Amino acid sequence: MDDLETRPQRILAAAFLVFALAFAAFGAMAGDTFFLRLATEALILAGLAMAVDVLLGYTGLLSLGHALFFGLGAYVSALALKHWAPSFWGALGATLAAATLLGSVAGFISIRARGVYFALITFGLAQVVYKAVYNTRELGGSDGILGIPEIQINFGLFTAPAASPAGFFLVVLAFVMLMYLALAYLMRTPFGRALLAIRTNEPRVPFLGYDSSRAKLIAFIIAADAAALAGALYPMLRGFVSPDLLAFQASGNALIMVILGGVGTLVGSLYGAVILTALKSVLGTWTEHHLILIGALFVVSVIFLPKGFAGYVLPRIGRFLGRRA
Amino acid sequence: MKQTLIAAAVAFAFTGAAQPQPGPIKIGVVTPLTGTYAGIGQQVKWGIDLAIKEINDKGGILGRKVEALYEDEEANPTVAVQKAEKLFQVSKVDFLTGTVNSGSTLAVSQVAERNQRLAATTVSFSDAITGAQCSPNMFRVNARAGMQSAALVEWMVKEKPNPTVFYLGPDYEMGRSTVSAFKSAAEKRGAKSVGEVFAPLDNKDYSPFFGQIRSAKPQVLYTSVAGNDTVRFMSQLVEYGLTKNLQIVGAAGTVTAQNLGAMGNAAEGYVTGAAYTPELDSPANKAFVSAFKAAWKTEPDLYGVDSYGVVYFYKAAAEKAKTTDTDKVRAAARGLDWDTPQGKKHMRAGDHQAVQDMYAVKVTSGKFKIVAKVPGTAAVGPDTCDKF
Amino acid sequence: MTDLAEALQFVYGPQVLNGLAIGVAVILMALGLTIIFGLLDVINMAHGECYALGAYLAVSLVAAGVNFWLCLLLVPVIAAAVGYFAERLLIQRVFHSRDRHVLTLLLTFGIAIIAEDVFKLIYGPNPHKVESPIQGASELLGIMLPNYRLFLIGAGTAIIVAVWLVVYRTSLGAMVRAAAFDKHMAASLGVPVQRVCATTFAFGVALAALSGVLLAPVYSVFPTMGKDFILLAFSVVIVGGMGSIKGAVLAGLVLTQIQSISSLYVSPVWSDPLVFGIMVLFLMVRPEGLAGRLGHG
Repeated sequence: MDDLETRPQRILAAAFLVFALAFAAFGAMAGDTFFLRLATEALILAGLAMAVDVLLGYTGLLSLGHALFFGLGAYVSALALKHWAPSFWGALGATLAAATLLGSVAGFISIRARGVYFALITFGLAQVVYKAVYNTRELGGSDGILGIPEIQINFGLFTAPAASPAGFFLVVLAFVMLMYLALAYLMRTPFGRALLAIRTNEPRVPFLGYDSSRAKLIAFIIAADAAALAGALYPMLRGFVSPDLLAFQASGNALIMVILGGVGTLVGSLYGAVILTALKSVLGTWTEHHLILIGALFVVSVIFLPKGFAGYVLPRIGRFLGRRA
Repeated sequence: MKQTLIAAAVAFAFTGAAQPQPGPIKIGVVTPLTGTYAGIGQQVKWGIDLAIKEINDKGGILGRKVEALYEDEEANPTVAVQKAEKLFQVSKVDFLTGTVNSGSTLAVSQVAERNQRLAATTVSFSDAITGAQCSPNMFRVNARAGMQSAALVEWMVKEKPNPTVFYLGPDYEMGRSTVSAFKSAAEKRGAKSVGEVFAPLDNKDYSPFFGQIRSAKPQVLYTSVAGNDTVRFMSQLVEYGLTKNLQIVGAAGTVTAQNLGAMGNAAEGYVTGAAYTPELDSPANKAFVSAFKAAWKTEPDLYGVDSYGVVYFYKAAAEKAKTTDTDKVRAAARGLDWDTPQGKKHMRAGDHQAVQDMYAVKVTSGKFKIVAKVPGTAAVGPDTCDKF
Repeated sequence: MTDLAEALQFVYGPQVLNGLAIGVAVILMALGLTIIFGLLDVINMAHGECYALGAYLAVSLVAAGVNFWLCLLLVPVIAAAVGYFAERLLIQRVFHSRDRHVLTLLLTFGIAIIAEDVFKLIYGPNPHKVESPIQGASELLGIMLPNYRLFLIGAGTAIIVAVWLVVYRTSLGAMVRAAAFDKHMAASLGVPVQRVCATTFAFGVALAALSGVLLAPVYSVFPTMGKDFILLAFSVVIVGGMGSIKGAVLAGLVLTQIQSISSLYVSPVWSDPLVFGIMVLFLMVRPEGLAGRLGHG
């Protein structure tokens, strides 16, 4: 059973990696900046989408306010880079600490509720923090924080400058793929199986010997950490952060990415992020009514293709493999 | 993934081909075409399109035609930055403008610096943009908050010496700083503050605050709400009968052509400090207003006229420098005087702020009539930019 | 003693009355939402857009010369038709899937995105005004209140009572409650469940649209208005109990009064977080709300 499920996912993930590397090569040769940075942004958002998928696709919890952690990560990273030290690892470390702390608190509040109630709590939490940050002068208020320095990322043997579009793209790609591998592995452990059990039939889980509340809380914290770490990369890319990173639109976009890409597959979120980012960029230039088109695509996807892109492709890959075996 | 391959190929084509000089001059416009500020973005677009059409009819800039490329920033700085970079890198625009909220303007000025191009704002009035957060690549052709306050205070102390003033603003950075700027300017001239309240942005119902306003019994009410909030605030003030014996004044963006229609009589008598009104009696403005109305069937407002003016600003700077090279245009723009429907404006070299005459404008029978004037040099305030 | 009386008249009195006017409006919004959730188990993320739809329909009808009072009758009917078809064509499709809750939430979320842009497309981004049909203000025990708001309180109360009567005193209401309690049993007893579902959804949408018309003269009409009440309406529904009419009324009154009076003591920016905090508290401590579910109590 394991093979049929994981091998198509691995193939899809490997395909993603190959495409991304080819893209980076193309871009570097062409001396391009914009498309590489746009793709880097898509990868960063893919990290957020994967976090949402862990909660929705695996634990069955719909988070309508996950941008809270993404934005939190971005702000902590921005403050660390600007006021403490322009260090990649320092910023990530600070972000991880803050996210785990806040994730625990927020998780404790939210986990009590299930289903739509959970969604509404996360929505409300994100709104409250968004407004608080928007109104806090020390955090830049509605203008956000500007002037984040362009950093050098030290890998011991070599350094990569964040200012280099292709270089940073590769760093973020490696980061996101590692995150994917870690999360995918986690979902195959007994803990991950417990989450799936919770999604399928929560009342039964205690009878199997698992504490569902604790499992949900841990999943929540993991999702918070993942989203925050992804967010931490944003100021390194764009040189600024703004309260809009916490707004509902960001949470909504992440959700659209997960659904379009394929909920419950993790790898789907990678594709979903790329699809939505590319769509928004292209449609936005073409017409000012891009929201109608994206909304319509989303509605069609929810009704006719609820398993998303990955959900459509993975069984076909599986069948192809089955035929060969 | 195919999308990214095609996109990469396009990028390759763009950078691979050599760029011969003749070819249109491209102005990138990153402005909100959707969302709360879409009305402002619309005026920006109309102003720029009109200016470009006029300039092209007369031969363009430096003999080249001008074209505008629009991108929707959704009033979101994270989107604005992306689109600005797209316009600079892929469309290779020579100049960028159109941002509305100060967050977007500041973020875009960083992008402009990194791409070594110039940008200008025609709407953002946060003082910081040409003050503490000034940028060598960002210019401002519109009046900033301090200038608006100066004109308004001037009128107010003449009309009502030593007035009692109540302040109501939207609770965010811009709302609070506008109120405090006006408050300090007013208090210096003898005004007495009798109350201050900040309502949340997008607040629907202002009636919870009316008790406070009533008991404070102010002669003047200053407000910096905008857009839909203004419509609600003003209508509700009238609804509750609070407008008798109360002079309402406020920021320039509070009552504009976009929300005046929805307010009807509620905005009658409102006074603000602004650099423009369509009623401005000069041949240049009359020509501009009739051209604008002919093209777009609506009256221009301050965003429309300033966006119209920014194209002429770039034209004047580029023609003075005889090139579109960034450093030369910047040098030419500093200290530049150019003609706009509002008269001659001067671009102050020290902070890239346009100096212009300011007016106290009163809404009378649905029109914005001028009731006082403050010359540009008196209104503009000190140069606090120390970054260049 | 006179100090207290004065405080009551000039400070608390107005706040309470204002809160009442706002509360009635919020209750109308929340009623539709709670009925839709109570029966259909559908979280209508597009409820705010139904509210906006009502307001925009009023703008168009009034501009075409239709009397405002006639609009109060026409708009809910039109909106109900829109809701009926939306339910049959779109929502029914995801209804039978296992992830129904999430899918309907997402579906209505997508519809909301489309609706907002469609409004902007048709009506433009600038606000519109609907003239208030009742001008002037009256004094009630020394408190000034606009006449239209008094009308709102009266009309709103009448509508709430009417809804309650329909749900609890008519055979249609009985069918609705039966289907909410046990869909399959109701079907086997001859209740046309599919049609009842679509009708109920239409009814909820019509209620939201009606509040849109009623509030248009007070709050003006613009494309993003759907987001105005959303958090408050959801809070009322949750605190009151998903699917409970009594609960929605009670919670609506209490929460708006809390908001109104708290604005005297804390900065108004905190009134939304305060309501949200109460909602979270209920979700943690008493998730069934004040009064429980439709069909259940």
